[in-house]
Amino acid sequence: MTIQLIPLIISDFFWRKLTWLGHPPCPPSKGESASRSTFQKNETIDFHNFYVYFSELIVAKPKKINYYIFLLFFLINITSHAQTPTCNCTLKGVIHERDIHQAVVGAVIYLKGTNRSTFSDAKGLYSFNNLCQGKYTIICQAIGFQKVEVEVNLVQEHQEDFTMQDTDEHLQEVIVTGKKEENQSQSKAVLSGQALEQSRGQSLGEALKGLSGVNVLQTGSSIAKPVIHGLHSNRVLILNNGIRQEGQQWGSEHAPEIDPFVATKLSVVKGASGVRYGSDAIGGVIMVEPATLPYDSARIHGEANLVGFSNGQMGVVSGIVEGGIPTLKGFGWRLQGTFKKGADVETANYVMANTGTQEQNFSVAMGYRTNHFGTEVFFSYFDTQLGIFAGSHIGNLTDLQNAIQNQRPNEIYTPISPSYNINRPNQDLAHNLLKIKSFLIGENLGKWSLTLGRQYDWRLEYDVQRGNRNLNTLNFKLTTYTGELLLEHRPIFNKITGSVGLSGLYQTNLSSAFELRKPLINTVLIPNYEVSNGGIFVIERLLHKQWEFETGLRYDFRNAQAFGLDKSGNYFDNSFHFNNLSATFGANLRLTDNWEIKFNAANAWRSPNMNELFSDGVHHGAAAYEKGNINLRPEVAHNLSISTIYEHAKLGFELTTYLNYINDFIYLKPRTENGQLQTVLTIRGAFPAYDYTQVDARFAGIDFDFNYLITKQLNLKSSYSLVRAKDILNSVFMVNIPADRFENTLKYSFKKREAFVSIGNRLVLRQDRVEANSDFLAPPPTYKIWRVDAGIKIHKISLGLSVQNAFNKAYREYLNRFRYFADELGRNVSLRVKYEF
Amino acid sequence: MFLVLYICNYIALTNIKYKKMNLNLKTFLMASVTVAMMVSCKKDEPAPVEDNETITTVRLKFTQGSTTTTFNFKDLDGDGGNAPVVDKISLKPNTTYTLAVEVLDETKNPVSDITTEIKKEQDEHIIEYVSTPATVLSVTATDKDSRNFPVGLAASAKTTTAGTGKLRVILHHQPPVNNVAVKNGTFTVGSTDFDVAFDVEVR
Repeated sequence: MTIQLIPLIISDFFWRKLTWLGHPPCPPSKGESASRSTFQKNETIDFHNFYVYFSELIVAKPKKINYYIFLLFFLINITSHAQTPTCNCTLKGVIHERDIHQAVVGAVIYLKGTNRSTFSDAKGLYSFNNLCQGKYTIICQAIGFQKVEVEVNLVQEHQEDFTMQDTDEHLQEVIVTGKKEENQSQSKAVLSGQALEQSRGQSLGEALKGLSGVNVLQTGSSIAKPVIHGLHSNRVLILNNGIRQEGQQWGSEHAPEIDPFVATKLSVVKGASGVRYGSDAIGGVIMVEPATLPYDSARIHGEANLVGFSNGQMGVVSGIVEGGIPTLKGFGWRLQGTFKKGADVETANYVMANTGTQEQNFSVAMGYRTNHFGTEVFFSYFDTQLGIFAGSHIGNLTDLQNAIQNQRPNEIYTPISPSYNINRPNQDLAHNLLKIKSFLIGENLGKWSLTLGRQYDWRLEYDVQRGNRNLNTLNFKLTTYTGELLLEHRPIFNKITGSVGLSGLYQTNLSSAFELRKPLINTVLIPNYEVSNGGIFVIERLLHKQWEFETGLRYDFRNAQAFGLDKSGNYFDNSFHFNNLSATFGANLRLTDNWEIKFNAANAWRSPNMNELFSDGVHHGAAAYEKGNINLRPEVAHNLSISTIYEHAKLGFELTTYLNYINDFIYLKPRTENGQLQTVLTIRGAFPAYDYTQVDARFAGIDFDFNYLITKQLNLKSSYSLVRAKDILNSVFMVNIPADRFENTLKYSFKKREAFVSIGNRLVLRQDRVEANSDFLAPPPTYKIWRVDAGIKIHKISLGLSVQNAFNKAYREYLNRFRYFADELGRNVSLRVKYEF
Repeated sequence: MFLVLYICNYIALTNIKYKKMNLNLKTFLMASVTVAMMVSCKKDEPAPVEDNETITTVRLKFTQGSTTTTFNFKDLDGDGGNAPVVDKISLKPNTTYTLAVEVLDETKNPVSDITTEIKKEQDEHIIEYVSTPATVLSVTATDKDSRNFPVGLAASAKTTTAGTGKLRVILHHQPPVNNVAVKNGTFTVGSTDFDVAFDVEVR
């Protein structure tokens, strides 16, 4: 008994000593000391458990008492040492005027309830050092500007930038940046604020087009899907409000079923992110992030958007209403809806028949939140009809060759005036998502979050058919359930933060029939299937002086079962079992306040898709016979990237270089025998044959962003993206790789009303890195297009004007599958009106 | 959709007019009901999928007098798989045949006769005959559609001297674009429904 007591006594003694040592060096505030005391209480509990464990050891081996006591002393010393630097947090940021990016000098920044305060310097910068962990209310005041108050939860390092508003206007808006982000060491591009406003009315893919390292793979004008560092479709993961988007993403003519009006921020994580998000995040991750629900305000407010496009005579109406309930504090809700209708679009010289679109979307969100618990329900519905250019419907290779030979489509496909009718061929898609996310901040471990989702994707494709029968050609119904349990644990030794998570997915796909195991027809490209998927991961982050390290590990398994009919109509089912271990390591080095270097090594994996396993037939759009292979293995990406970020008063740039090795990269390889390209003879003639094979691929490239403030009002922004991709097994160039791209924008911001005028161009070089005779048509030549933008805000109304392809240039883009048939869009003037209430 | 916008406006207006907080709950509930109603309006499910575009067999029937010889292009297992079975067209020199084309889907039971469908929609179908060399066989459509353009399901085929060559038979589908008929007797519009090539021997 006495022996067992000794360590407890010792622990008690040391605990007191520890509390003394842990005396906060900075003056405590009310809220601050409260939060710290609970923290220490937890530590005590942990320490006692620790001693109980050790005392048991001591009972078992009494001879080694001295040794254990010594060990205890040693351990306590280490941990108690680590306990003291709770108050080494830093808080900093920059303060500038709202309309122009001019620094606010001499603003007072103070922390409510403490005696800490500071002034912003000549560059508008401010900083606090040696702050203790906890919640603070930062107040920023300057003469002639409205007071801004922001609450932050300080853990380690935090950047809070303030945008000051003239006192003569009555709007309170705070732009908060520098929030804790995941993937600190990976390059990230963000579209928000004014840049996002300028993209309003466009599809998700189109909106992201301007970001460096991001391209779009198009099928005509209406179908655009994002390409990150040369990778797309199932190699890019889209997180729609935190849930992985599951649609029929394998097809290049399948655009993401997301309404960008839901988001106030679109971010792109460039590079493999398999550890955090699981399979498919080989090229990167796109996050569609809505604003937080208005938990604190009972006032009903919102916005209405009206956008009109001259090209395609397209109109978009979108609105948001949100608020709380006055009697129920912490409750917030939001309603959002979009309606879009467009007629046939025009290239520089002609109208393209049957290219109209229609879209109707809405979402509802409701949430309740206290300091320690919160839950949120989100439902969204997306519904679109997309016309596909009538002149692109081909039956065989001869049709395609004829289309290519004609400089412009046959005149029957280029009507004089656009029509809103959507005829065949077309796509009709619906996608709904239900999400429930809850969090609980536990006393001991940290923050638990549970995210559950159910989504249903219904894709109908109507091809041109004989007899004008009301039959659909393809009908895919995909139901997905996802779940994730995440624990963001409390800092360990006050230095290591991180999270541990479990995730799961269950999915069923019906390509034909109403029952999974009773497929009806064999011409539906992919069989019915069922997938179950699970993963466990841990990601930890360590801060040490100006260094930040991040490392993580993940294990995934994926079981799939396919049910289909073979060519002769016989039933088959196949099972697949895949698993994979992914890892990531990253480091951030903050050399100075302005200069940061990021390094990241990560991997990610992707199991073969059903189309890669089971395709066996003619892909009509591509005029190719494609054959799947059921023996394909998962592909694994090994990604290295280094970024340098420099930001100074006038100059800012970010340079990212990356190298992505993908083992067992799955791709369609032309079938050859004795060096001769092979074709497959069908009733529609002979088609070139392709087989799904695995090679080792290397993607390397550079993204460069540059920003220079020429005068206080004139700003030059440039970006450059370059990708080089090779199949290193056969030493040949990969197909459909984005060409080198330069973007430049010169923007003049007026002092008042957030007004601006900008002019920009996009230069896309000809893709020369293609193998001879690998395509029906050589890549299109270099092109340069111009755009002009302007905007102004008058009280609650924001107006925006954009002219894309200002000189109405006729050009074709290599990444558009319709480059065989028609030009890209001609001049497009759009007017945006936004009313905030 | 417009309902939602209407509700949005309503909320905004009531908020400006009365600024009474108890209205908010009411309007919110109203909005929720509207949304719930909209969720329940689903898309009409189209008729179940049926693969109605398959063509497995193109049959050419050459008739001279009372004798009819038949030549097939058959691909019973569809694209890929086993290669199609193609008969060799064997004809007599200096003879004029009546040619009839039959198009079948033999995967269906009973066999689906697509010829009747094409006949029914002759205003948007045309068959093209290409023989190489041109001298081996000359084929001219004898049937006409409602706008007096040839269809090609019925034709006359004429041989001259003995020789060998190829005959390509192509069915072009030229459906109207935005309800405007496009068939104009040429083969440059529309898409190809079948494109089959036979070896021809005249002896």
